[in-house]
Amino acid sequence: MNIKIKGSRRERSEFLWGWLFLLPTMAGLIILNIIPIIQTVYQSFFKTGAFGRGNVFVGLQNYEKLFTDSLVWQALMNTFKYALVEVPFSIVIALLLAVLMDGKIRGKSAWRTIYFLPMVAAPAAVAMVWRWLYNSEFGLFNHLLNSLGLSSVNWISNPSTAYISVAVVGIWSIIGYNMVLFIAGLKEIPRDYYEASQIDGAGGVKQFFYITLPLISPTMFFVAVTRIIGAMQVFDSIYMMMDKSNPALVKTQSLVYLFYRYSFVEGNKGYGSSIVLLLLVVILLITVIQMVCQKKWVNYS
Amino acid sequence: MKRKWGFTAAAIAIAATALVGCSSQQAGKETTTAGKEETKQAEETTKAAENAGGGKTLTVAIWDKNQEPGLTEIMSDFTKATGIKTQIQITPWEQYWTMLEAGATGGSLPDVFWMHSNEISKYAQYDMLLDLTDKIKDSKTLEMDKFPKEIVDIYKWEGKKQLAVPKDIDTIALWYNKTMFDEAGISYPDATWTWDTFADAAKKLTKSDGSQYGFTVKPTNDQAGWCNIVYDMGGYVISDDKKSSGFGQEGTIKGLTFLTDLMKKGYAPPYEVVAENADEALFEAGKVAMITQGSWMLPELCNNDYVKANCDIAVLPKDAASGKRISIYNGLGWAASANTSMPEEAWKLIEYMGSKEAQQKQSDLGVVISAYEGTTDNWVKAYPAFNLKAYLDMKEDIVIRPYSKSTMVWTNMIHDKLIDAWNGNKTTEEVCKDIEKEMNSMLASE
Repeated sequence: MNIKIKGSRRERSEFLWGWLFLLPTMAGLIILNIIPIIQTVYQSFFKTGAFGRGNVFVGLQNYEKLFTDSLVWQALMNTFKYALVEVPFSIVIALLLAVLMDGKIRGKSAWRTIYFLPMVAAPAAVAMVWRWLYNSEFGLFNHLLNSLGLSSVNWISNPSTAYISVAVVGIWSIIGYNMVLFIAGLKEIPRDYYEASQIDGAGGVKQFFYITLPLISPTMFFVAVTRIIGAMQVFDSIYMMMDKSNPALVKTQSLVYLFYRYSFVEGNKGYGSSIVLLLLVVILLITVIQMVCQKKWVNYS
Repeated sequence: MKRKWGFTAAAIAIAATALVGCSSQQAGKETTTAGKEETKQAEETTKAAENAGGGKTLTVAIWDKNQEPGLTEIMSDFTKATGIKTQIQITPWEQYWTMLEAGATGGSLPDVFWMHSNEISKYAQYDMLLDLTDKIKDSKTLEMDKFPKEIVDIYKWEGKKQLAVPKDIDTIALWYNKTMFDEAGISYPDATWTWDTFADAAKKLTKSDGSQYGFTVKPTNDQAGWCNIVYDMGGYVISDDKKSSGFGQEGTIKGLTFLTDLMKKGYAPPYEVVAENADEALFEAGKVAMITQGSWMLPELCNNDYVKANCDIAVLPKDAASGKRISIYNGLGWAASANTSMPEEAWKLIEYMGSKEAQQKQSDLGVVISAYEGTTDNWVKAYPAFNLKAYLDMKEDIVIRPYSKSTMVWTNMIHDKLIDAWNGNKTTEEVCKDIEKEMNSMLASE
């Protein structure tokens, strides 16, 4: 009622139209995201029966189990290890490529398309191809190693290195996407800075470190935040590339993989929910830390 | 600045939660697309039938694409006789149960589908399956006593409600590479073989440069792999009352130790190789001389050119001490959804698939070994180049595949823990004792 008295006709109509335009997005967010999140939280307090029936309230039992389950903590470690390899490399390589693409080279759009292609391919198909490249018996990589006289490597079944092999696939798939974001960021940098520095005698390398890097930091920040969130949720490549009997699985499976296994293979959705909530808390923490630290290095000029 | 910070933080928090929420949906999505692609083919085949007349179509869900051509043929007989049309949907085993569970939760199960001993209790407990008990009683063509009783019992919930009709049974036999046997100068496996003969042959068939191994066992394929030898040597996986684990039994430890020892001696490829490759793939590539495989693998193995040229089948070896030659066996069942819109039609299809006529045809076409008594004689002629009789001979001493209400949970645990035994990180006995403890507590909370 207050609005009616306060706002002018125009303000009211703007208010109405504003919300009307927001409605499709809001509806999608609420139905597909907010409600499932609330349900997940709710479910994590239950011992769930099959088919969403016969749920028994167990209080914090799932969380108690979570804190004593060594598999969960191992999976959290695995997820961190994966992110520590995937995120820095995918950012550094993508940035270097973006700078190259932004310069004067022939066939720019062809190169861009090539680097962006992995992003267009279905992740499951990508993982299948890599699985065969990595195969210890019949894979191309080992075939090449053998023809050079080197011995075979267990790319995806050696517990101490398998996560790196998986991360390489992650890096390969995401580089193109990061690169496009960086190219957009580079376009924002005024050309005058480069010209001015050139007159002052700065070379390409100096320009990169003193102009490009500071001025692209907002984009870098965005990419870092979204990439870390993405990397923490790795699932499809591990699911497709590693068999259940793989001896490296325990040292490679991510939290989402464990969540999938508990929820959908073993039908324990309550426990699965508590695992995915742990992941949510971890991601929120990391993101908050990033938000605080950004003041130190992100340059909004 | 302060305000801006808070807003972005909130926005990112929402984005983060949204992404977490998404991951579960993605997992489901993948499954359905995997299934969908394969359904396309089936759709095309049924299109021809659809043109013939009006009416609704029964959806039939299965997981084995090897059986699709044969089953389509049998079901087209059914359509001709009754006018009820069917459409087969294939979802690979790994995703089949996720698909079925999602369907049951959302109230959209396929009309008719395959059931398995791993999962039946869950569906039975929540009344997801059409109760067939009375219908079977009134049926003129379906004779339940013609099926192996143990298979019928799997699908008889609490000994009363019959929820599925047996479809087939499967047994395990030994596949061997004749060319490699000739080269090593060893006579082919036959009924006189014991597991010691097997070990001896495995040793002789292994080449020191790693290009050829004596045998391999897929650690996750319990039914076709290590289970048989465990039962031969007097062990078991689960007690008859399904209350306790058999992993502490002397025979179980002996059987598993026998296999893991052969692996340690290098007569089988290293565990990493087996984990990355299916045992039949290694066999088809000429990497291993012997594998044990189930009768459901025939369409795959018998149609492979290398296998056709070099390999054959024999019965499994027996245990010298006990004289036992056991094959673990299992059988699928045809079940229908409790809330299907066409219960009568669904029942008619199940009744037909369980009839002698359809069971006979299923064997004749070489799809699988039918469960119906006396229909399997022609099955051996399906692939004349191979000694399929070995699979039927294995029917003489059979043990039902271990199951309980929560089969999936403890089999996954067993597979996980056995890894340490296969790659030699722990002694097999230690691992078995560990499994026994964990499995008993799992069975107690069923």
